[in-house]
Amino acid sequence: MWPSLRPVILLLAANFAVSSHAQAPAELHFCLHGEPKTFNPLLVDDEASENIRYLTGGVLIRVNRQTQALEPGLAESWRVSPDGRQITFQLRKGIYFSDGSPFSSEDVAYTMRLLMDPQTHSATGDAFRSGSGTVVVKAPAPYVAVVAFPAPVAGMERLFDQVAILSAKSLKKEESVLGPYYVSEYKAGSYVLLRRNPNYWKHDAQGRQLPYIDTVRLDIQRNRDIEMMRFRRGELQLVNRVDAQQFDELKKENPAAARNAGTGLDGEELWFNQAATSTLPDFRKKWFQLTDFRRAVSLAINRNDLARVVFTGYATPAFGPVSPSNQFWFNSSLPAPKHDPQAALALLTRAGFRMENGTLKDSMGNGVEFTLITNSGNTAREKMATMIQQDLSEIGVSVKVVTLDFPSLIERITRTFDYDACLLGLVNTDLDPNGQMTVWLSSGENHQWNPNQKTPATAWEAEIDQLMREQASLSNDKLRKAKFDRVQEIVAAQQPFIYLVNKNALSAVSSQVIGAYPVALNPQAFWNIDTLRLDPGQHIVSKQ
Amino acid sequence: MFTWVVKLGRKFAVLGALALLGALLCATMIRFAPGYGVDERELDSRLSQESRDAIRSEYGTAETLPHYYRRYVSGLLRGDLGASVFLQRPVVQLIRERSPLTARTVGFGLLAAWIGSSILGLLAIRFPNAMLNYSAMALTGFLIALPAAVIALLFVFWRAPVFLGIALVTFPKLYRYQHNLLAQAHSQPFVFAARTRGVSENRILFRHVIPLVWAPVLALTGVSASMAFGAAIPLEALSDSPGMGQLAWQAALNRDLPLLTSITLCVTLLTVAVNFLADAIGQRKSS
Amino acid sequence: MIQRVFRGVSWSILAIVFAFALFAEGFTHYPYARQFRELPNAAPSTVHLLGTDDLGRDLFTRVVYGTRVSLLLAPAAALLATAIASILGGLAGLRGGRLESSILAFTDLLMSLPLFFLLIALRAFLPLDISPLLSVVATFVTLGLLGWPSSLRVVCAASRNLRQSEHMLLARATGYSNAQLLFRQVIPNLRPIFLAQFWISIPLFILTEATLSMLGLGVMEPLPSWGNLLRGCEDFGAMSANPWRLIPLLLLVITVICFQLILHSTEEPA
Repeated sequence: MWPSLRPVILLLAANFAVSSHAQAPAELHFCLHGEPKTFNPLLVDDEASENIRYLTGGVLIRVNRQTQALEPGLAESWRVSPDGRQITFQLRKGIYFSDGSPFSSEDVAYTMRLLMDPQTHSATGDAFRSGSGTVVVKAPAPYVAVVAFPAPVAGMERLFDQVAILSAKSLKKEESVLGPYYVSEYKAGSYVLLRRNPNYWKHDAQGRQLPYIDTVRLDIQRNRDIEMMRFRRGELQLVNRVDAQQFDELKKENPAAARNAGTGLDGEELWFNQAATSTLPDFRKKWFQLTDFRRAVSLAINRNDLARVVFTGYATPAFGPVSPSNQFWFNSSLPAPKHDPQAALALLTRAGFRMENGTLKDSMGNGVEFTLITNSGNTAREKMATMIQQDLSEIGVSVKVVTLDFPSLIERITRTFDYDACLLGLVNTDLDPNGQMTVWLSSGENHQWNPNQKTPATAWEAEIDQLMREQASLSNDKLRKAKFDRVQEIVAAQQPFIYLVNKNALSAVSSQVIGAYPVALNPQAFWNIDTLRLDPGQHIVSKQ
Repeated sequence: MFTWVVKLGRKFAVLGALALLGALLCATMIRFAPGYGVDERELDSRLSQESRDAIRSEYGTAETLPHYYRRYVSGLLRGDLGASVFLQRPVVQLIRERSPLTARTVGFGLLAAWIGSSILGLLAIRFPNAMLNYSAMALTGFLIALPAAVIALLFVFWRAPVFLGIALVTFPKLYRYQHNLLAQAHSQPFVFAARTRGVSENRILFRHVIPLVWAPVLALTGVSASMAFGAAIPLEALSDSPGMGQLAWQAALNRDLPLLTSITLCVTLLTVAVNFLADAIGQRKSS
Repeated sequence: MIQRVFRGVSWSILAIVFAFALFAEGFTHYPYARQFRELPNAAPSTVHLLGTDDLGRDLFTRVVYGTRVSLLLAPAAALLATAIASILGGLAGLRGGRLESSILAFTDLLMSLPLFFLLIALRAFLPLDISPLLSVVATFVTLGLLGWPSSLRVVCAASRNLRQSEHMLLARATGYSNAQLLFRQVIPNLRPIFLAQFWISIPLFILTEATLSMLGLGVMEPLPSWGNLLRGCEDFGAMSANPWRLIPLLLLVITVICFQLILHSTEEPA
């Protein structure tokens, strides 16, 4: 009885071993931090959808996330006309979409027309809108595409990094792609499964077709703690944009997995409500509109403490809208932010405020106090607000911190203007400040401290308006930088936004992944996904 | 026979009307709550004025409430519950995709909770051992004290199924109610009389005590169903389990009017139906 | 005998906790908002008995003051909820018929509405510059006003049972009005049930406030409450590195267990 079972057991064991080895496919497993709202690359406006677009879309010009320089994508070369209104692309030949249909200039024309169609309401398309008039796209030859804009578009080439080319002829529009992967399965609320594009045009130096990894499983996981738990258990091989506190813990346990790509592009900022139409009492409006008041608040805030305590050292104090990791646009001549409560008090005294029994009072005897709102659920911001509360109490200013859910917050800062000060973060995907026109123009919707002005309320805002308009019409990047440097200087002097910190770009990469090199630009950890490899020796645990 | 059918029909009509009322009340609340009609896309500085206007018009803030009611009811009659604003998908499809998971989780959780609390409750009454009682109290107290968030995280950590979490949250409260009712019934004078007559404890329990508490205990089913679904919301949301609970949570955070209204419709219908059933059985038994 | 021991122990523990809450200033050295930024996440020491939280605030002080917020306001909310449930439920069970069906239907309706959304909406409605204490009170009052439906059905069923009892028939025959019946007969007889609901609701409201805080919608900074002290529990890595952070959770669990034991001992027939 017993001997006859042995060969059966051995056979079963061997079978199991073989199948479990063969069952370990090359699948990269990581998470999206929200539900992708759309798979149409033209309508992308949230992080999850953007990640999917990056992984599936083929673009004409690619911004290399590591060098921040432009490199050819589907276009092997391009030429921008001297007046900055027209761009001519020379496309690569012999490329096919994932469903087999051939790629030609017709597809480029189709995509650009759809993108710029006002009915599409695409944020990516709107970034190209520099003036009124229609955009004309021509396909004079099968591999030549010409796009002509009614007015010069500053930083035009970089914008094409966000335009994923759709197939003009294919019936399954969103399923035929030019990028390294295509969406194979999608379960709402659960996961997105990507499979390699069999017709991907890129090859490595040895001529082998990319990507190396066959499938990518993206789980939809909002909870960062659970995500890190799963990473530690080996279920995930990658975590993109790790929180500073979690990174700190990971570094202690597994230093090799914790990757710090240095200062990132994202920053946190605080601003006061200077809108003339707000319902705030006049004396409070007056405080917020005083430059000296804002500069004093900026001096009183201890940015080093914020970086050290809230972000466990994985952040640097910020003093301008551009992060130092934005190599081209950062203005290195800006003064470093200082922490000097005494200087703050001196400024306030000069402005007519005085200290009385530990409370700061204005010239009319009103105690200086205001409410700082921020969005709930973001522990880092809540901690920063609490720390700012203590910093400002040292100069006699009383701050109340209120956390609101995001829709209520946005309503207050964009519609009702019923708030004193707001603390929010910037997520910069675009290096070029031209995409922020509505922030800097006084008539802009996103000119957060005082939006939609009919005429500039102050001389310095008028100066910024002029500088921004000038840089938008120039095609020489160096000249544009000079203008925007001046904008940054004005902002540093006037402090309409009080910039606090620039957060580091932190990722977690398991030892199973080879070739990962996280950088500051999004998507930080998997920008080079087509050249990533998985270590075949390690057994990969994939969670169904 | 006919009057019975008419009565039933009327009851169903009342049920439906209540569910609809719940949905419309919910819609009114959302419509007038601060933060309605605002989208975080408005903070994207690339958008043109036309795009912003298009985003705002998606929310239908210009539409009056009575008009919205009319549109919703007519859509409901056609089987169309509108489309979720933040997920950009038809509500019916979302509910259909997610309700099986939640139904399973809540169903099994409730079953486990009821079985556990009933057995423990009966045992506590049948074998009134002080140590057992106080241990049960301590256990239920401990379970009541754990916040749903902590339970959710523990369950993910232990890779335990979510339904156990729901059972753990609902069980202690059910046990308490049941224990109260059983204890009260057990201390009635006729039980004492039966005991002196020599009736066995088992017989007392099953023939005298349980029939007395049948009805109030059954009244708990509806409440326990609401409790379970209420627990499912944070549990699913915090453990990222793609069920109705997580959907409701996201809908509330995003002020998604069509979605939250329809979810409230379903929940009200279920709650009212379960309670109605429990009441009907209870009344039948007592009469 | 055991019963008395348990009851005694529970009352003592609760008394100590309450004493801490009421006389917080006497037990603590530092203000609860003071950040010792050089010592974030410090381990317990002689200077900081329970260590510090991640902003460097003394955890012992925050636990004591947090107890004050949670432990004094939750019973108030529970009282409100139980009162509403008692009156409405008692009336429903007493009268029966149409009134009972309407009250029960209204209760079901209220139970089905997204409570969570109501709490978010309320928070957004409140004016921004109210003090943290007022915002907490408003939250607990809302919890009280919205938390009665689950208690009502139990009260109603018990009241219904009572309606059919002998001494009620007698009272009605004597010509008592509904109000008199409610307040003279129903409520006194159902007192044990009300008490049970009250004791059950207290931890429930503490926990709802805790869950809200874990979402960032609870008590305003820098006011501590058990809820926002429990927020640290979300991060498992931090928990294993700083296990003393679990002390608020432990305190919550012990307090709730004490409530349960006391309630149990009051119900047990002597």
